[in-house]
Amino acid sequence: MRQLLSRTAGLSREDKGLLCGLPIFVLTVLAGWVVWRLTADLDSIEARLITAGNITQMTWDHVQIVVVSSVLVVGLAVPLGTLLTRPALRFFSPPVMAVANAGQAAPVIGVLVLLALIIGFGFGTAVLALSLYAFLPVLANTITGMRGVDQAVVEAARGMGMSSWQVLLRVELPMALPVIMTGVRTSLVLLVGAGAFATFIDAGGLGTLIQTGIIMFRYPILVSGAIFVALLALMVEWVGRILELFLKPKGLA
Amino acid sequence: MIEFIDARWADILFRSYQHSSLVIQSLLLATVIAVALAVLVTSCRRLTPVANAVSAVGLTIPSFALLGLLLPIVGIGTVPSVIVVSFYAALPVLRNAVVGLQGVEASLIESARGQGMSGAAVLWRVRLPLAWPVIMTGIRVSAQMAMGVAAIAAYALGPGLGTYIFTGLTQVGGANALNYALVGTLGIIILALILDALLVLLSRFTTSKGIRA
Repeated sequence: MRQLLSRTAGLSREDKGLLCGLPIFVLTVLAGWVVWRLTADLDSIEARLITAGNITQMTWDHVQIVVVSSVLVVGLAVPLGTLLTRPALRFFSPPVMAVANAGQAAPVIGVLVLLALIIGFGFGTAVLALSLYAFLPVLANTITGMRGVDQAVVEAARGMGMSSWQVLLRVELPMALPVIMTGVRTSLVLLVGAGAFATFIDAGGLGTLIQTGIIMFRYPILVSGAIFVALLALMVEWVGRILELFLKPKGLA
Repeated sequence: MIEFIDARWADILFRSYQHSSLVIQSLLLATVIAVALAVLVTSCRRLTPVANAVSAVGLTIPSFALLGLLLPIVGIGTVPSVIVVSFYAALPVLRNAVVGLQGVEASLIESARGQGMSGAAVLWRVRLPLAWPVIMTGIRVSAQMAMGVAAIAAYALGPGLGTYIFTGLTQVGGANALNYALVGTLGIIILALILDALLVLLSRFTTSKGIRA
């Protein structure tokens, strides 16, 4: 706890407010929902669908989709971004950045439906589509972060006798980490939102409640789904911010 | 694929028009609201962190969830689409407008006041023109996001190319399912790129001469 507090010292008031405010907000809304669920007058379909067990199961499915895709994305995009900023491959990075920027214009629902039509419905397709979607922001931020490392620092490290691997692992990556982590956090939150569409291709998740609510015209189901997706996204944003604090190298202000 | 497009050319064009019209109108609405809010917020220093927190938290709310929350309140159709698209479009503009307005040098504002300009004149003729390039960058980010959000809004029977994607989904196994999804997705990408190019041009022409690079 003390370590956490010492790490928040350099943060702006806005960031500190979010660190404390987000969990409080999430817990308040959650408590409000529980009170509503216990007192509301629901019909049989609603009462059967909106149960603690059901929602836990859907949240778990949702989290699985998000976690598997983000592990894939971070595992591939960070090394690729690093590779593209090495001297031998550096000339590749402007065209890759251009493609990455243009690719972000692709609507995730379109990518998801297209992939599902081509390779079939299910969990795997959802993970693949979401990974493609979240890949570009992480790649772009990795390249931006690595490029932003002061060349004088790199040279100083080389001058101290570090090998290029040591420079990469002990100087460049740590210095680029804040920018990379921002990309990862953005992607994670995007993934939670996009995970809500997984239900369209039979991959489950909390979007199921929203879709069922719309189809059966039952607002309690629809709103419950929407609330839980939003709360999950806010929690992920919070976890991302905490991770960012802990991973930031001590030497960087 | 070519046959498919050929047979539906008029319909595709009409939906592209609907899609861009939804995005552009929401973008205009969002820009006006966001810039007004930013002016308000930057004149009262205490509110600035609040505005930044709101835009950060707002962007984490998934669009499908917001759509779900709005449906019971405003019903099905164009209205929820406009509200959802404007909501997401407003956030990046708000953030950038706050940054841009804060970035205006205090000495410039003071010398404008010293020349006898009123507070409103300083805002219109000094602060907004100087912050404009940053605001335009925010609008470009918003435009790209709005294109995607508008596709999702189609699920709530809003207009646009998103309906093609959902038609493809419901006709799975049918001969034209893939064509529908492909035309919808590619159409949105093309529209997004065209709009971005137009905004770059607009930004060049509307940036005050004194600060043009």
